[in-house]
Amino acid sequence: MRKQWNIGRATDTVVTYAVLLVVCGIFFFPCLWLILASFSESGSIYSFRGFFPTSYSLDTFRTLFTDTTMYNYPKWFLNTLFIASASCVLGTFLTILTAYTMSRFTFRGRKTLMKTTMVLGMFPSFMGMTAVYILMTQFNLINQHWGLILIYAAGAPMGYLTQKGFFDTIPKAIDEAAKIDGATNFQIFWKVNLPLSRPMIVYTALTSFTWPWSDFILPKLLLKEKDLYTVAVGLMSLDETEFARFAAGSVFIAVPIVILYFCLVKNMINGISAGAVKG
Amino acid sequence: MKKRLISGVLLAAMMLTSLAGCGAATDSKEEAQASKDTVTGAIFDGTLEENVTIRVLENDTAISKGYFQELIDAFNAEYAQYGITAVDANMDQYLDLANDGPYGYGPDVLYQANDVLMQYAQGKHIYPLPVESLECYEQVPEEAWEAYKTNVEGSEYYCGVPVNIQAPMLYYRKDLLPEGWENTWDKDANGVPDMTENWRDMYLFSKERHAEDSAKYGYMKSIYDVYFSSGFLFSYGAYVFGDENTDTTDIGFAAGDAEKGAYVLQQLAGVMNEDCLDDTITTNAYSRLGDGTYFATLSTPDMYSTFLDELAKDYEKNGKDANEAMELAKENLVMTGLPKLPESGDLEDEETATIDTVSMGGMNGYAISAYTQAPNACLAFVDFATSYKMMMKRSELLGVAPARADAAKDAGEVSADLFDRLHNNQIVLMPSVDGVSQIWTPGQTFFIDVAKDAFRPENERKYKDMAALKDGLTDMSQQIYDAINTLQ
Amino acid sequence: MKKEKSKWKKLPADLRWQTTLSAIIMGGGQFLYGCRGRGALYFLVEAATIWYFAVRGWKDLLGFFTLGTQTADPWTHTPGDNSVVMLLMGLLAWLILVGFITFYIRNLKDAYATQKQVDRGEKPVGFITQLRGLLDQKFYVLALALPVVGVCVFNILPIVFMILIAFTNYGGSIVPPALVDWVGLDNFRRIITLSQFAPTFFKILGWNLLWAVVSTALNYFAGLGLALLLNKDCVKGKAIWRAFPILAYAIPGFITLLAFKFMFSYGGPINQIIRSLGGVAIGFLDLDAKWTARVIGILVNCWISVPSIMLLATGHLSNRDMSIYEAARIDGATRGQQFRSLTLPYMIFTTTPVILSQFVGNFNNFGIFYFLRGGMYMDGYFLASDTDLLINWLYNLSIDNNYYCIGAAISLLIFIITSVISLLVYVRSSAYREEDTFQ
Repeated sequence: MRKQWNIGRATDTVVTYAVLLVVCGIFFFPCLWLILASFSESGSIYSFRGFFPTSYSLDTFRTLFTDTTMYNYPKWFLNTLFIASASCVLGTFLTILTAYTMSRFTFRGRKTLMKTTMVLGMFPSFMGMTAVYILMTQFNLINQHWGLILIYAAGAPMGYLTQKGFFDTIPKAIDEAAKIDGATNFQIFWKVNLPLSRPMIVYTALTSFTWPWSDFILPKLLLKEKDLYTVAVGLMSLDETEFARFAAGSVFIAVPIVILYFCLVKNMINGISAGAVKG
Repeated sequence: MKKRLISGVLLAAMMLTSLAGCGAATDSKEEAQASKDTVTGAIFDGTLEENVTIRVLENDTAISKGYFQELIDAFNAEYAQYGITAVDANMDQYLDLANDGPYGYGPDVLYQANDVLMQYAQGKHIYPLPVESLECYEQVPEEAWEAYKTNVEGSEYYCGVPVNIQAPMLYYRKDLLPEGWENTWDKDANGVPDMTENWRDMYLFSKERHAEDSAKYGYMKSIYDVYFSSGFLFSYGAYVFGDENTDTTDIGFAAGDAEKGAYVLQQLAGVMNEDCLDDTITTNAYSRLGDGTYFATLSTPDMYSTFLDELAKDYEKNGKDANEAMELAKENLVMTGLPKLPESGDLEDEETATIDTVSMGGMNGYAISAYTQAPNACLAFVDFATSYKMMMKRSELLGVAPARADAAKDAGEVSADLFDRLHNNQIVLMPSVDGVSQIWTPGQTFFIDVAKDAFRPENERKYKDMAALKDGLTDMSQQIYDAINTLQ
Repeated sequence: MKKEKSKWKKLPADLRWQTTLSAIIMGGGQFLYGCRGRGALYFLVEAATIWYFAVRGWKDLLGFFTLGTQTADPWTHTPGDNSVVMLLMGLLAWLILVGFITFYIRNLKDAYATQKQVDRGEKPVGFITQLRGLLDQKFYVLALALPVVGVCVFNILPIVFMILIAFTNYGGSIVPPALVDWVGLDNFRRIITLSQFAPTFFKILGWNLLWAVVSTALNYFAGLGLALLLNKDCVKGKAIWRAFPILAYAIPGFITLLAFKFMFSYGGPINQIIRSLGGVAIGFLDLDAKWTARVIGILVNCWISVPSIMLLATGHLSNRDMSIYEAARIDGATRGQQFRSLTLPYMIFTTTPVILSQFVGNFNNFGIFYFLRGGMYMDGYFLASDTDLLINWLYNLSIDNNYYCIGAAISLLIFIITSVISLLVYVRSSAYREEDTFQ
């Protein structure tokens, strides 16, 4: 009996690992290919024979960072970092606040608000771009990184539904206990709920960092000078013969997000409610 | 009650706006009476604005090859006495002036293709220029000026200054010619290989080269590329828009014997591989010509240096030192005019006479933004940049073909040849009207379909004869018509 | 409405002059009753609004109707009106006016309430106390103020603007400096009378719905499955395993799409492998490859979307109340049963919003087919290809040729259809109706 159980468990483990290997292979394959392309000596994917480049070199990365007269990648990188970090902080704060409020408070017009935001998301976003552009010219925010941050941060709460779903699962009993202890609603939010929702904050932070990081429509619309570009716009503006630079730039753009992930990963998984309600 | 109020307000508003419409109409009539000289004269009064900075938008190649730096350095030295400085606008080479200009975010002087520049002219986003006063006026041929002519409110204006001609050129490698080609591939004994002189021989040679080594090809070019493929249709009587490329209700891609051109493309696709269906060839032609996989391809003159670098790289890999490799590359890479086409449209027809190939082309040039604060300084810059000296420099560094007759003559054979082709109407310049942006997608779809036919099994072919090709072209023209006119 | 009126009629009977003062000088009454802070705040708002309307607001309000009367001509240095800016700023001015009126009514009610308090001999609630209230009972006002203003200006305003554009002739050759006019329902009439329009519209709508449903389901279950798989106890080094999808997530979408397009092209690695194995190159995204291209689109979209769903599901999974599982185990439930009756309902409940936002996102997924298979018009479609979604078609029709007004009209139609569908689904979902199921 016991042995059988062990065998079952062993096969389960083996199958799990097999599936994981396949899935990770699928995710890694295109990335690997892009990475290989960025390290290929000729810098052209067309000199590949089959899947692998014929020879390797670090030259593409060297030119990416040193040859900055035409395409100032380091500058673009810093611009993007600034915009993404600022939008991430502001956006995460606003989204979490909105989601929490919508989850915990009942007030007039709440359901209407929920339905409205739901419907607004259906509008084809590029159709509103003209208006955003004109608005920004009137506010004098063209060629300003703050203009972009403002739009990203202001748009972030639109996606609050996901986070609200999370707050809906945090038992209200916790709030009530705190209320009995004399905490104000703000304190309950700040001291009780926020620490409980770390996985959600991490998720929100990651998504609101990634969005400005990889968006190219808005920066293209609002940043006219090459020195102000973000990496995504810069890469799109590369000449078609600059494939090597494109591949290297595309690979390097992923680095901060991967680093961010590894920094935040330990906050992603911490069982919370299990301990909290029982006590 | 509420509704009635709103409709009342709207009605009042509409009346106001229609009144405004009338006002505008009388304005424009008055303007039409004003002669065009006073318009340009009022803008360009001849007094240079002093202590100004003008932002110049150049194309990326000119910047990366260092030409632009030389140009602004020379200009700034010359105009230092007036305090005029030209700087790199540092913007996207494909920016849209109509979008950025009105809000003050565009450049002062811009270098773009004629079809792009002239779309700004209708909305008056660029200034009409007193072209007669420019030093290059006499040297630039009438055909080139035509590309920048526009008719606004009854008077004709020129809104740009031609700098260089862009049109497809044949690139091939001399060292890949077959051993003893002088005997086998030079029937007219003029010292020029036949396959670079007419498409029939190019077709036969491509077949032969691929048969000898299945990894190698002769002529390769993405068929889907409208810019290059439409020339084959033009050669047999097709055109883009009627009334000298201005009437967008008359689409001429199926006109004349255009189907013959489509048939040529279909046959050429047969000697390539499926790579011609997407942009694979376009992006890899540089390195594939370099490593000898392709023998010939089509591209524009400004890509010459890219081809050269790739070829030199390949020589270097085979043990040559850098200088030697470059010398060898310069010797073996040939950029020349387009081969001739068979009159019957059949590349296997040995009897037929040949006709000249017509190709689509563009005229790149300078224009001055109507939102600039210093029009006279900008004009001075354009005058300076189109001088003989700068044009020669440009041609030397970028390999482009100048639009000035004197520079074209001195810049080498290719430039002279392009200049002649333009003069002989063998280059159809891209139309300078709005609708031109709608020809690409329908054209692309048709060309892919025609090329794909070469790879379909015999019984599934869509274009089996000339009539089917003609129908395909008519469909394509109809799509272009729809795209431009249905929403008008 | 009637109720309101009768309430208003009753008011004058016991109004004091201080309260009436608030009708002219906002916050005046409150100030005199001793609520200095609040009174000053109301007054400041009034002053700011008056200053705004005096400086430019009234012009903007009028400009909204005229959309400009003077055509600018850069050639003759004639300054003129920019219709689009006038429309937008006019809209903003009307929004501000509405906001002000709401605030004004609040002010009146507040003044009257304060009067009542004073009449009763109570000490009116102080400004500081009220501010403190914002941190407590009225916390939601404080919390939502900033997001709502932001969303109004940067999301709602552009959308309303675009809806209004559908009733103008903006686009084509009528772009600034030319003047734009209101044209009523002309654009809609044109769309409906266009005979080629309807067949293409329904063909694309059908595919669009299929696409949205299939990709949403696929992305969701694949993401959930992956999260569950990585959540298993037997998996060691979870952070490393998760890093692979994260890597995919970290590369910007458009780069991934361009890379995929190349991978599937004739000269790309997939065809190279097929050829080296002796096969014939396949035109995955070719002209004739209708269903292959569609399936590839769905799979590529899955590749792009799964990582973020996985991340989210992981967060939710760690938030489960594990004590229920213990109870289930004691009751002898198998792992399959536990999954079906505990994990799945929980996950579906918490992630309904995700499914919905995925659905919305997929429905309007512009990038996938624009990058993968753009630049073709198929037979039987009016200026569209057989993989185009409505949003791509919209782009072909409007943006390529700058027909903003037609584009706006079409997007309004699409918008109405899609929002009705998703609203119905949403209102019926348990996440909306029973928000506290899992509390």
